[in-house]
Amino acid sequence: MNAATTSASSPSLAGPPGLRQTFARMLRVAGAQGPALRRSLWLSAAAAAAQGLAFACFYPLLAAVLRDPPDTAAAWRWLAALGACALADWVLRWQAHGFDYSHRLGDVTHDLRVRLGEQLRRMPLEALHRRRTGELSAVLAGNVDEVVTPMGAVSAIILRSLIVPAVAVAATLFVDWRLALAMMVLFPLALPLHRARRRTAARTMHDLAAAHARTAAELVEYVQGLPVLRAARCTGTRAARLQDALAGLRTMQEDAQARDMRPTLLTASLVEIGLVVVLALGVWRVLGGGLDVAALAALLVVVVRFAEPLSMLSGLSAVFDHMEAGFAQIEQVLAIPPLPMSSPPAVPQAFGVRFDDVDFRYAGQEAGEPALRGIDCHLPPRSLTALVGPSGSGKTTVTRLLMRHADPQRGRVLIGGADVRAIAPATLNALISVVFQDVYLFDDSILANIRMARPGATDEEVEAAARAAHCHEFIARLPDGYRTRVGDIGGRLSGGECQRISIARALLKDAPIVVLDEPTAALDSESEVAVQQAIDALVRDRTVIVIAHRLSTVVGADQILVLDDGRIVERGTHAELIAADGRYQAMWQAQQQAKSWHPGQAD
Amino acid sequence: MRPVIGRVRLAMGLAALGAAAGLGAIAALALTIDALLDPAPRPWPWVGLAAALTVAAFVLRALAARISHFAAFALEAHLRTELAAHLAGLPLGHLVDQGSGALAKVMQDDVNNLHAFVADSTPLLGRGTAAPLLTLALLLFIDWRLALVALGVLALGAAAIRLALRDHVDLQRRYDAECERIHNAVVEFVQAMPVVRSFDDGSSSFSRYQAALDGFHAVLSRWLAASATSARLGIVLLGPLPTLLALSACGLWWVQDGSLGFAAWIAVLLLGTGMAESLMPLMWLTHFIRKADASARRIQALLAVPALALPERPQQPMDASVRFDDVGFAYAGRADAALDGVSFEAPSGSVTALVGPSGAGKSTVAKLIPRFWDVTRGAVYVGGADVREMTPDALLGQVAFVFQDSFLFHDSIADNIRLGRPDADQAAIEAAARAAQAHDFILALPQGYASVAGERGARLSGGQRQRIAIARAILLDRPIVVLDEATAFADPENEAALVAALAHLMRGRTVIVIAHRLATVRDADQILVFDRGRIAERGRHAELLAAGGVYARLWHSHERAQGWQLRQRTAMEIPA
Repeated sequence: MNAATTSASSPSLAGPPGLRQTFARMLRVAGAQGPALRRSLWLSAAAAAAQGLAFACFYPLLAAVLRDPPDTAAAWRWLAALGACALADWVLRWQAHGFDYSHRLGDVTHDLRVRLGEQLRRMPLEALHRRRTGELSAVLAGNVDEVVTPMGAVSAIILRSLIVPAVAVAATLFVDWRLALAMMVLFPLALPLHRARRRTAARTMHDLAAAHARTAAELVEYVQGLPVLRAARCTGTRAARLQDALAGLRTMQEDAQARDMRPTLLTASLVEIGLVVVLALGVWRVLGGGLDVAALAALLVVVVRFAEPLSMLSGLSAVFDHMEAGFAQIEQVLAIPPLPMSSPPAVPQAFGVRFDDVDFRYAGQEAGEPALRGIDCHLPPRSLTALVGPSGSGKTTVTRLLMRHADPQRGRVLIGGADVRAIAPATLNALISVVFQDVYLFDDSILANIRMARPGATDEEVEAAARAAHCHEFIARLPDGYRTRVGDIGGRLSGGECQRISIARALLKDAPIVVLDEPTAALDSESEVAVQQAIDALVRDRTVIVIAHRLSTVVGADQILVLDDGRIVERGTHAELIAADGRYQAMWQAQQQAKSWHPGQAD
Repeated sequence: MRPVIGRVRLAMGLAALGAAAGLGAIAALALTIDALLDPAPRPWPWVGLAAALTVAAFVLRALAARISHFAAFALEAHLRTELAAHLAGLPLGHLVDQGSGALAKVMQDDVNNLHAFVADSTPLLGRGTAAPLLTLALLLFIDWRLALVALGVLALGAAAIRLALRDHVDLQRRYDAECERIHNAVVEFVQAMPVVRSFDDGSSSFSRYQAALDGFHAVLSRWLAASATSARLGIVLLGPLPTLLALSACGLWWVQDGSLGFAAWIAVLLLGTGMAESLMPLMWLTHFIRKADASARRIQALLAVPALALPERPQQPMDASVRFDDVGFAYAGRADAALDGVSFEAPSGSVTALVGPSGAGKSTVAKLIPRFWDVTRGAVYVGGADVREMTPDALLGQVAFVFQDSFLFHDSIADNIRLGRPDADQAAIEAAARAAQAHDFILALPQGYASVAGERGARLSGGQRQRIAIARAILLDRPIVVLDEATAFADPENEAALVAALAHLMRGRTVIVIAHRLATVRDADQILVFDRGRIAERGRHAELLAAGGVYARLWHSHERAQGWQLRQRTAMEIPA
């Protein structure tokens, strides 16, 4: 369609900056439907050209009517030509809209979401963690619709508003080149103006977006912090920070309005102003005898038609900017490369774990301290290893590298002697079960929630896992037993019960390596006992790596790794570490003291 | 929209006038042509009129937009302030029920929707209504036959669009439902990704996601297919060419039989398509109107939630005691009582521990003291006065809270501690921080007390956040402290510091503590054991243990949980 726009005589009508890129992006996003979209865009362009030609027919038509004597036959002939052009416009347009009004548009959103969904499963989990849930779901749910739905219709309108005037102006060249020149100078003015507006708009938008973001953040904080604010008696108009943000936003809006209003309206009114200029020029030429009244009348009829599409163009630019931003975000997500597989692929036969001099930095923290430095340790098959240390010391990062959420910058992580980078993702996942602190249950039956760990499992096997995880009893008491949907009983499952279901899931999976991330931290004492029993069943005969805050739980570990600031500072069994009288010993003492604290007694 | 309704009406009126001026300018074009056809042409006055009316249209439009935008800005700030003040007067329990996310969404998105409506849609509405009517009137005045022709084409187009929209409401509803489903599927899929990766080969969760996608695809395709022909017909008919073609053909006929002047014909050609063109924006507008309407309803609904009743003759607390007198309470929409016949007294300076299994009612007791909700039966007294007979300021001036999830504002640490005592100086803040065992780690932050909580370098652990919240409570220095003991301490070293901080906070105050782990309760003056909304047992630690009831059971499972160790096994060879 670029050829169509530029061939239409006026290179300055080629479109605002970025239009071409946006179209290219659109075609990329359309994927398999790209050719259909391209065809639809070409048809739209052709239809617009036909419409421009139809307008051009007014010149000879009106001239024939005003001829002395009127040339009736010629007038009807040109009217027929106008009709033919109009017909061509309709047929082409009908075809072009076939893209919007068929399964194709649905196909594009569908395919795009499938592609994004697969990408989510493929991209490094670390990259996933770096984005907030809301951000990603906005891309998958919102952006896709916002970008795809107007794709055909908006591009058609934009092509139209550029091509129709271009063709009509080209036709005017044959009637009176001076007027055509005037139009060419005047109407394309809309584009530089439009561009200038977009430039100031971009600046203003940026400031406004910042003010909006600030207001949004303050609103969320206000609502979240309301109990605290109320206790501190700082609510309503006394909430200084919120009032500040609101006032700031309003000032910003008023400034932006003052700055942005004139160029916007000027663009929208340019056609009207141009019309008056063309009229004055035309009248002057008619009075001077250089131009027919009929030609001027036709010119006016044609130019008035530009008002609609050109003013739409400036209105649509907001939609376009929006689409552009949506495209950018979608492409950004699609562009995240999956972690590379090194060859030859390996399938570990033994299930010991080794960290071989591992250094790791999180992406985006290249400047700061690395998260892990020189981690070197061996977890023999079926041994129990505890990671302890203050928060932020790198315990969770160690487990993440084992599960290959990201790759270390130096060193290797090995399972059964095989580098995790050589193990296929599906194989690696099958090797490791994780019990998280926050349990995620799907809105599906309890049966399905447990069975997802092994889709082929029979009902009996699921039940056996549930029994071993100490959850058969309370599941049996639910209204529909194992068929009860989690969503239907939502809040009625306690944290401990959810945790036990997740442990049943892990038991059914029967992976040789188990990662426990402080699974009882958020539970009260009574649930804790039940979950502890479930864990006892899970860790039997497996290689276990546990992140522990309460040191007493890991006294029996085969080895305890004490992490601080990304390094292993001490290692050994509980007895060895107590004897060493170092970091671990101090932590142990502090915890023993805290256990027996008494309220009301100071210090 | 009430506070700015006058300005909105003005904007709509000005926009309508602007539309009239615009039409007048076009009419002046036709009059210019007419003047040129005269043997002695005097077209310049008409050119001048066209120019003047164009400028007038521009100015009127600009004015309308300016007024509507400023009205929208005012409305936005006004609504948010009103909502913020209103929320502060609601039972806090209501906020908890609604969820802060949903409330912030009303204050943010719904207010924004109204803003967009007032700013952009109202002038369009004025213009969109005035323009077609004025155009029709002008056309009728110029030539009624051609006016009818234009109206006929428009009617055909409108009929086609109507046909396209015939099952619109039903399909829109289904479409919205599928959108919702997709959204939920996406959120679930994203949130659960770690679980999905770990436990799912893709067959289970991905198929649920896929099913939502398929459902959406089916509804969308059905909708598009059902409306394809008529919608396309409508788009074609409402474009400028059909009207122009019909007007040209009929006009040419009538010009040739002498019943229509050339200039009148040109005028009709200039104006004729305007009706359809100005109707188009109105059709888009319905979408915005619907959205604004839904938003206005949600804002209204929130503002309509009644605030806590304020006492006519407020009472002042006499001391620092807390008393529950036969209190019954049920959460809205729940049949079972959360509390039933709860009576107890916590004298000034005493420590009362609330224990019991989760869901037994301990948190509810804590939340009735600051009047998060009002009791359904009985009464809660603070310092001898019914909490409903006290002003919120008087009540909250008496009680300090330390919540489980310590909320810090995106502000400097000093300001976070100072909250509620804006006059406190640096020395007072530091003293409170020292007492809360927070001074040392605050000094270790890059900017010390000026570090912004949560920003680079000042990411605080749960235990550290809690100690800042305790410093805040110490600085507030209220005679009663309600404390929700954390279930999980971040790490062992933090735990010891936290314990020291709490001990400091509790000294010399009336303390009500929700104890989750029972370690806190051994020395409490009284322990209230809750079970299913009632006080099942009460007394001191030793008495209750001896009684062998609920408390003894809880204590034993606590002991057992504390003593748990992950399996002990014969060590494999472990590298030193």
